[in-house]
Amino acid sequence: MLGYIGRRILATIPVMAVVGLFVFSLLYFAPGDPAAIIAGDQATPDDVARIRASLGLDRPFLVRFGEWSWQILHGDLGTSIFTNLPVTTMIGQRVQPTVSLMLVTLVLAIVVAVPLGVVAAWKAGSLIDRLVMGLAVLGFSVPVFVVGYVLAYVFALELGWLPVQGYTPIEQGLWPWFSNLILPAVTLGLVYIALIARVTRATMLDVLSQDYVRTARAKGLGQGPVLFIHALKNAAVPIVTVIGIGIALLIGGAVVTETVFAIPGLGRLTVDAILRRDYPVIQGVVLLFSFVYVLVNLAIDLFYTLLDPRIRY
Amino acid sequence: MSGVPLLSIENLQVHFRTPDGANRAVDGVSFAIQAGETLAIVGESGCGKSVTAMSILRLLPEPPASIAGAIRFEGENLLDLPINAMRKIRGNDISVIFQEPMTSLNPVLTVGRQIGETLRLHQGLSRREAEARAVEMLTLVGIPEPVRRVREYPHQLSGGMRQRVMIAIALACSPKLLIADEPTTALDVTIQAQILDLMRDLKRRVGAAIMLITHDLGVVAEVADRVVVMYAGRKVEEAPVRDLFRAPRHPYTRGLMGAVPKLGAVEHGATERLAEIPGMVPSLKQRIEGCVFAGRCPDVTDLCRTYAPALEPKAPAHLAACHYAPKDALAA
Repeated sequence: MLGYIGRRILATIPVMAVVGLFVFSLLYFAPGDPAAIIAGDQATPDDVARIRASLGLDRPFLVRFGEWSWQILHGDLGTSIFTNLPVTTMIGQRVQPTVSLMLVTLVLAIVVAVPLGVVAAWKAGSLIDRLVMGLAVLGFSVPVFVVGYVLAYVFALELGWLPVQGYTPIEQGLWPWFSNLILPAVTLGLVYIALIARVTRATMLDVLSQDYVRTARAKGLGQGPVLFIHALKNAAVPIVTVIGIGIALLIGGAVVTETVFAIPGLGRLTVDAILRRDYPVIQGVVLLFSFVYVLVNLAIDLFYTLLDPRIRY
Repeated sequence: MSGVPLLSIENLQVHFRTPDGANRAVDGVSFAIQAGETLAIVGESGCGKSVTAMSILRLLPEPPASIAGAIRFEGENLLDLPINAMRKIRGNDISVIFQEPMTSLNPVLTVGRQIGETLRLHQGLSRREAEARAVEMLTLVGIPEPVRRVREYPHQLSGGMRQRVMIAIALACSPKLLIADEPTTALDVTIQAQILDLMRDLKRRVGAAIMLITHDLGVVAEVADRVVVMYAGRKVEEAPVRDLFRAPRHPYTRGLMGAVPKLGAVEHGATERLAEIPGMVPSLKQRIEGCVFAGRCPDVTDLCRTYAPALEPKAPAHLAACHYAPKDALAA
């Protein structure tokens, strides 16, 4: 087990190296010259060349990639071209809103989607089942920004129950923090809920036809223990897997959601950095997201052993 | 054998709704089990024996199944009970051993948890008491190192051991009736014998009545007191086990017995073909005119094809549904 964890952690190194190379070359080959943007409209070609040289942008690809990687291994993600602040500092300032949004969304999605999927499978073919599955299709097909604007319009502008946009740090109180996150979390979570509910239903349908579920019923257990202990525990591995894969959905969705709800998080930082071609920031954020994704999926692989005694590494 | 029987099934009808009409899986079956008795229900696949058993505990999903008739347990019709009252009977007064030990245990829960579950549910034991009882139950069913095994998962046990665990689960609450649905079919022969011995031994100790569902006449001869033979959703013969083997009255029962290989049946070095019952079980989707066995019976006549024979006593305590079954003078 410990050996397995060690091997898995070592295996993240080449993955991250490939991600790094990809991120670096993508922006290297992307059109648009940061030097020209910094210099502004009035600049002469000489000015642009000077700025480019001062940023080190005139040197060969491999030299720049090597230098960049070396810095990153030392915990230095570089300095923003625009703010001249270290990228780590900029990310640090933006981490809390994004982490808050993702955690709230994650909890909301699991709490809503898993019971919905279980009930849909239990009542397969019924009105409830069709309603849940209809909702799932809707969740998949309506774009995040549409959901966001509709929710903000109804619950914030018309009804006035929740703030329209913005973010309140958790230090300023739990409710102000949470109330600001409800609408974004629902917006971001809808696709995720749809995904988890569908997988839960499909897996549960299969599990509910197994002999051991009949055994559980024959013991005199009520519907609740049969569904949520005997059946759900057997369905847990695919559900947890899709929750892990869905983190990618959350990362992508956070960028749009943070823009819609004006949350000063990493998603906004990414969008702003892309618009300004602030290479070090883009690279830093993408690397961070990839790293988190790899770690989450490693954690999930290890979590399997707790869910299913037959899985041993 | 007097007074109210432990379980009495009266004119049980189990129909399954299918896209092309109702499937009459069980069609008017009646029998009774006395306390402490072992009743075998015999028949080939699809004759409705397992469906009968599952309908006693109301484990069939309704719909598509619909159950009519009466299933009286200690005088109370189980079909009228609300689901909560039914749950108090399941695993407590009536428990089941299923055919497939490999798939009937939950793979992600420990053996101890699965045995202790019924004890906690029906007898209100604490987690610790239930585990202690689970260890006792494992000892009772002959599993070595019960203290270690109780914390293991089903995949760590062999098929025979898993069936022992199933028996431990079924007997944990000392049920009055144990339904054993082909308990030995999935096991190899030496393990089969061990499991049968175990069941007989436990029956003596616990005093439960057993309803044994099987297609294996060897098993029937070994453990049963009385036998019900089912064919195409009907009961075609019922008799005490010795009478049935000595003088089977229904041609289907005789056919079943002919299909059992016997030691020493090979004479003069030539292998004799095992007798079989020709043909197939009729479709249960149409009403059957005449005798259900008419299509496969070697002695069929026009009478059989037109009129269904009634189940009538052919000898004391011996019922059969055949126009031509020999009838003893003593029969009522």
